[in-house]
Amino acid sequence: MAKIQSDARVDRPLLFRIVAICLLALIVAVPLLGGPLSGSALGLTPYLANIIGQIATFALLALALDLIWGFGGILSLGHGLFFAMGGYLIAMHMLKAGYVYGGVTPDIMTFMGWTELPAYWFGFESFPYAFVLILLVPGLVAFLYGWMSFRSRVSGVYFAIITQALTYVAMLLMYRNDTGFGGNNGMTGFSTLLGVPVGAPGMVTGLATASLVVLLLAFLACGALMRSPFGRLLIAIRDDEARLRFLGYDTLWPKLAAWCLSGVLAAIAGALYVPQVGIINPRLLAPEVSIEIAVWVALGGRGALSGAVIGAIIISALKFWLTGFVPEAWPFILAGVVLVVVTLLPNGLLDLKPQRLLAPLRRNRKPAPEPAE
Amino acid sequence: MNAVTMTAPGAQAIQIDGLRVSFGDFVAIPQLTFIARYGEVHGVIGPNGAGKTTMLDVITGKTRPKAGTVRLDGKVDLLGMDEPAIALAGVGRKFQKPSVFEALSVRENLETALRLKPRSILAEIRSWADPRRGTRVAEVLEEIGLSDLADTPAGILAHGQKQWLEIGMLLMQRPKLLMLDEPVAGMTEEETRHTADLVRRLRSPERAVLVIEHDMAFVEEIADRVTVLHEGNPIFEGRMADARQDPLVRQVYLGR
Amino acid sequence: MPFRFLRLQGFLAAAILLLATLVALPAAAQDRADIVAEICSGDFAAQQSALSRLAGAGVEAGSEGALWARRIVEAFEGRSLRCGDGLAVIDTPDGPLRASTLEPAEGVDTSTLSAPSVNLRLRAVAASAGAVLRLFTEESVAARAEAAAYVDRRREALTPEILAAAVERETDAALRDTLSTLRASLLLADPDPVNRIAAIEAIAQDATLRNRTAIAEALAGETDAAVLAAGEKAMAGIDRTLALGKVLATLYSGASYASVLFLAALGLAIIFGLMGVINLAQGELIMIGAYAAWFTQEAIRAALPGLLDYYLILAIPVSFLAAALVGLLMEVLVIRRLYDRPLMTLLATWAISLLLINTVRVTVGSQNLEFYQPAYVSGGFPVLGDFIMTSNRLFAIAVALFAFIAVVILLRRSLFGMNVRAVTQNRAMAGAAGIDTRRTDMMAFALGSGLAGLAGLALSPLYNVNPGMGTGFIVDSFMVVVLGGVGSLVGAIVAALGIGQINVVIEPIYGAVAAKVLVLLLVIVFIQWRPEGLFAPKGRR
Repeated sequence: MAKIQSDARVDRPLLFRIVAICLLALIVAVPLLGGPLSGSALGLTPYLANIIGQIATFALLALALDLIWGFGGILSLGHGLFFAMGGYLIAMHMLKAGYVYGGVTPDIMTFMGWTELPAYWFGFESFPYAFVLILLVPGLVAFLYGWMSFRSRVSGVYFAIITQALTYVAMLLMYRNDTGFGGNNGMTGFSTLLGVPVGAPGMVTGLATASLVVLLLAFLACGALMRSPFGRLLIAIRDDEARLRFLGYDTLWPKLAAWCLSGVLAAIAGALYVPQVGIINPRLLAPEVSIEIAVWVALGGRGALSGAVIGAIIISALKFWLTGFVPEAWPFILAGVVLVVVTLLPNGLLDLKPQRLLAPLRRNRKPAPEPAE
Repeated sequence: MNAVTMTAPGAQAIQIDGLRVSFGDFVAIPQLTFIARYGEVHGVIGPNGAGKTTMLDVITGKTRPKAGTVRLDGKVDLLGMDEPAIALAGVGRKFQKPSVFEALSVRENLETALRLKPRSILAEIRSWADPRRGTRVAEVLEEIGLSDLADTPAGILAHGQKQWLEIGMLLMQRPKLLMLDEPVAGMTEEETRHTADLVRRLRSPERAVLVIEHDMAFVEEIADRVTVLHEGNPIFEGRMADARQDPLVRQVYLGR
Repeated sequence: MPFRFLRLQGFLAAAILLLATLVALPAAAQDRADIVAEICSGDFAAQQSALSRLAGAGVEAGSEGALWARRIVEAFEGRSLRCGDGLAVIDTPDGPLRASTLEPAEGVDTSTLSAPSVNLRLRAVAASAGAVLRLFTEESVAARAEAAAYVDRRREALTPEILAAAVERETDAALRDTLSTLRASLLLADPDPVNRIAAIEAIAQDATLRNRTAIAEALAGETDAAVLAAGEKAMAGIDRTLALGKVLATLYSGASYASVLFLAALGLAIIFGLMGVINLAQGELIMIGAYAAWFTQEAIRAALPGLLDYYLILAIPVSFLAAALVGLLMEVLVIRRLYDRPLMTLLATWAISLLLINTVRVTVGSQNLEFYQPAYVSGGFPVLGDFIMTSNRLFAIAVALFAFIAVVILLRRSLFGMNVRAVTQNRAMAGAAGIDTRRTDMMAFALGSGLAGLAGLALSPLYNVNPGMGTGFIVDSFMVVVLGGVGSLVGAIVAALGIGQINVVIEPIYGAVAAKVLVLLLVIVFIQWRPEGLFAPKGRR
């Protein structure tokens, strides 16, 4: 297992606070600039507000992965699975609610040839029911897979690859029409969310703000959790699981708790994401989507929640910007970023310390400590 | 101090009987009987492949033997238990390679090692602020001599300091049986002396200490009794000084 | 000439031929003269027998004989065959030819000769015989197919023996099937029940679905109890053979998929065992191997078109080396910087796979590549029932077998192999014993990558080749590694065969997705029971 530099263990308090304050500022600014002040010089177009909202859900997703990878040392290459689960569940809720209350026949009924929605859509018109499922279903899947893996001490590369295989298989399943979730077309054509028409003014900024709020709350809560004894135990598992077991801790349960929490957070991120993009289909389950999440965390710095958030923001903002005019260059840039990070910045951007950047300017400079490997 | 267990010195702490361990076709331990007593520091020496580490693996539940029994206090059968349960029953093991939680501070390492609520991890976490934890940490910090480095991340400690910290983590648990796997390998002379001091101080009526070591001088300095293992068989048991005279031991160590 | 014919014929036909040539060859010239004389005789029965013999010439006298017979039949039909005075010539614009030898007949006045009379019945026999001979002499498949369709309607000159010979000769699979069916229906239409039973039994010898259908159709209008019983028995026998053939065919296609998996997984397993690194770009190295094969083909097509048939063989070193080189670069530039950080190598190798896919996409394009299929990877050998051992799959199996043997020898017998095994077991100790572990890693990584390249070559006659082709293989290959246990050649084979078989068994019934789901679930359940894999080396860890 990788030895992790001591400064990568938890957030540097200053950086953590800066990120929290920035998020708070965005929570205030987005509804203002996207709503009443949208006509002003600094006003947000709905397009930009939407992108901010999407990125917030990505940051939440990165946060989820950092919990388990950065702190627990357990890499998942399948967090897209939980993200997509949240997305599919909220999509089912929106379609069913639109059908029951708004009389809008979902497209999925047309191309699946359904005259009515199948039995497993029962109750989805109710938001509380859908919300509970968004927590329960991914939580249960995470629990089952985590329990089986951790119990038999599957870890490291094995664990990561099997999560990827799981997501891959889920993608293949969802591409099939007879799985019953819209196949290749997925689900789209949402009409209402919480009784508000999706086209209503303020819906875009509202969702973006909600995503930011959830992100900030999760950020603060996870920060507190990781500073708690539970977080300490998780770090101990990452550093030397065998030692901890020989001290009398059954490491199964702390790992499983962190893993399930991470899966549920990812599902919440997915549930916030899908209403903002207006579609969900199996492409979200492609292995590269899940690996990209790991890239965000690796870039920002594992084991630092602020790093995960920053990494997600940087890469997804770059992607939105670049795929606009040079879509074919994006895979090359992404691959390049990964290779630079893994070879030169083992702790991600956290390795770019101000003093190291300034070092050449100083006279009596000491060589910066090389990352312990 | 707060000694609770009333064990007569010399009572058997660990009994191994008829132990057989094999990996595939390779027999690591053919038939081993071994006893460690309370109040003693018991050295186990032997050339590479003598089965020393395998014996520790069996006691701590890492390796399952093909036959035999391992009992703690003459009653607790360790073979049916998993690693955490064996640790909680009172068996502490220091690994050959220093194993500490590098990202945690020395103090946090020790805090984590103390099990006030062995029944449940959740209860353990909730009792983190229990004052007994702080008291015990201070005691152990003093004992292993790392009080000044309490808030240093363990990852940046020197090799020897990491070894002491790991011993300290085991002391937090007040083990009945403390097993040290090559505690002075890779240490400087100064560090070795310090470690010998520490191990001698670990001797206590309610504890048996088992030390596996290559360094004969170190064993002679600390051990009340030594067992020499060769190809999984004990070929000598007694005082270190006598071991040096034993013809069989000389043959095993020095060739003909 | 008879030898060339021999080579083309199967055993049965060869035996007949041998008999026929022994009798016919010394007297061939006399024979031809007799046939011509019979045609010229004006006697209906003699003419009909002669025409039948001409039709049979395709079977008995070799291709030269068939061509001659065709010429005579066509001349007879076209009324350019002239007879008289014990003389028979074919009238051509360039002058008359002697019918029996086709040599110019100088000084013969054709106006004194007359064409033999042709009645309607005889015309039909002649047309049928002509079509039969076209079946044996036409070069193009389409023309032969046309002839086959004709003889199906006009069976006057047709015998089961002729069709058997035609089937043997036929190179086109579809046409061969048509002819076999025709033969079966011919046999089964015999008016004598005894012959029909014999026919059923003879047909049942070749247990194919087509023959079963032919028997079933013949039985539909059958009234003779003995024939019906024989038919039922024959069909039951065919059913058993077909079932067995189906099982064999499934096992065979499973084995070929397993071969590709095995090659990819073997590389993964060697690298993982040695360095603890899972190469997520292994699928793309397969792709590189396939592209290297394609480039080899194009290069040979451009420079040495005569060797084009052998490009798949010549590509073996090219595919291996191309993928090995890419692997070597990966190791030197990236992987070796990531020691002790196996999770990061996952990301790094994924990034490399992304680079490889997109580089190929941008430079070569994302369409499927066209591969030339030499004779040795097209067609196949019928084995049992409908099970045909297709050559493309055989090629994949052969490449895997070859690579397996080479790897075994390399690992067991060479110094490099010894180093790999030593470093796999105990890196520190191997290093201390003077083994250059870095160099061993590098070479092993190249070897593992090269094996993936061979997988790409092996699958190029079987699967679509495009930039994204590798992604489908990485999951299955890794499952092979997990199932087989790291560092175990036997484990890799058993696991590859198992997973390959599951895929081909499940796929036709429940679809490819179900097969993948099942494999994954199996692996997850399996590691509960045996986390180290089926054949993990035992020992203290």
